[in-house]
Amino acid sequence: MDELELLKKQWQEREQDLPKLSYQEIYSMLLKKSSSIVKWIFFISIAEIALWTILAFLVPESSKEINNGIGLKTTFLIVNIVNYAVFAVFIFLFYKNYRTIKVTDSIKGLMGNILRTRRTVKYFVIYNVGAAILLLIGVNLYYYTKKEKLYVLMQENFEGYAAIPPEKFTSVFFLSQVIGGVIMIGLLLIFYRLIYGILLRRLKRNYKELKKIEV
Amino acid sequence: MTKELEHSFVTQLEENQNIVHKICRLYTNDSDSHNDLFQEITIQLWRAFPKFRGDSKFSTWMYRVALNTAITLYRKSKRSIKTQDFEGVSFKITAETYDDTVEEQLKLMYNAVKNLNDIDKALVFLYLEDKNYKEISQTLGITEVNARVKMNRIKEKLRTILNP
Repeated sequence: MDELELLKKQWQEREQDLPKLSYQEIYSMLLKKSSSIVKWIFFISIAEIALWTILAFLVPESSKEINNGIGLKTTFLIVNIVNYAVFAVFIFLFYKNYRTIKVTDSIKGLMGNILRTRRTVKYFVIYNVGAAILLLIGVNLYYYTKKEKLYVLMQENFEGYAAIPPEKFTSVFFLSQVIGGVIMIGLLLIFYRLIYGILLRRLKRNYKELKKIEV
Repeated sequence: MTKELEHSFVTQLEENQNIVHKICRLYTNDSDSHNDLFQEITIQLWRAFPKFRGDSKFSTWMYRVALNTAITLYRKSKRSIKTQDFEGVSFKITAETYDDTVEEQLKLMYNAVKNLNDIDKALVFLYLEDKNYKEISQTLGITEVNARVKMNRIKEKLRTILNP
């Protein structure tokens, strides 16, 4: 096998032809982990929309009856459509961030992308929490203007409410709404803090490391 | 802790980067794929690095992880890599040192090696790297006897390709 021996000789002689990467170039390759974090943000946003959709099916019939009876059916439909549209936009933005971060090869470009991704996630969380708070306040204000009708509907659908005298109903109902609302928003905040918080912290760390290389 | 680990890893990889480049040359056909594979191998090495305990040499460990990565990727995208374009490979042979026939022979040989399947290619690569059969078998996780038998078969295969 003369040719193979020849190739072997040649193989070892031509080492100097090989590309030579610097310490910095290799180091910046390690930071490509950012792209997988951004990929997770994209996947989680999709999982989240699926989660909310499933949860929507779990709302008890009696709650739906009240909202339908009091005249909120169309409003909720519109709110849902708007919400899904906004979600779709965010999912698209997350996907776009993921694509760009994947093909970026300069440190400066990567830093810009990390900042942009963090910003998108921040707006996403602000939108979700903000929309939940606004919806809660709006719906309860509406309930308040129709509290007589609400009392009748509540008595029909929830047995426990029949025991409450009409003059106490308003305070009991809205107090429980406030407590329930605060707990819900709190859980939502914890949920986002846990999921996106971890990913965002990692991105931030990568960003800091990149910054160190840059200067 | 992480910083020290990173520094020690990058320094060692920088020193031994030739190994990865050679694997990339053998398993890819253009500089873009070369860079992609290099990056992929770097990431895989970095992931595996915490498990590298130093009971073997860094370079030995690197051969193993890098070849595994190349072989896995090669399997995933077999079609894209199978198209051979020898001219596109910057395998330079200086004209002054070799006459045309030698150069021609080397081209053919190199082309034949590139056309081997992923595992055989890994074996030839280690052979070209002047590794003995013991090292080859350890790197690829096969027995020494198996490595010898395989290598003989590959030589046979190459001979048929070169002299049909």
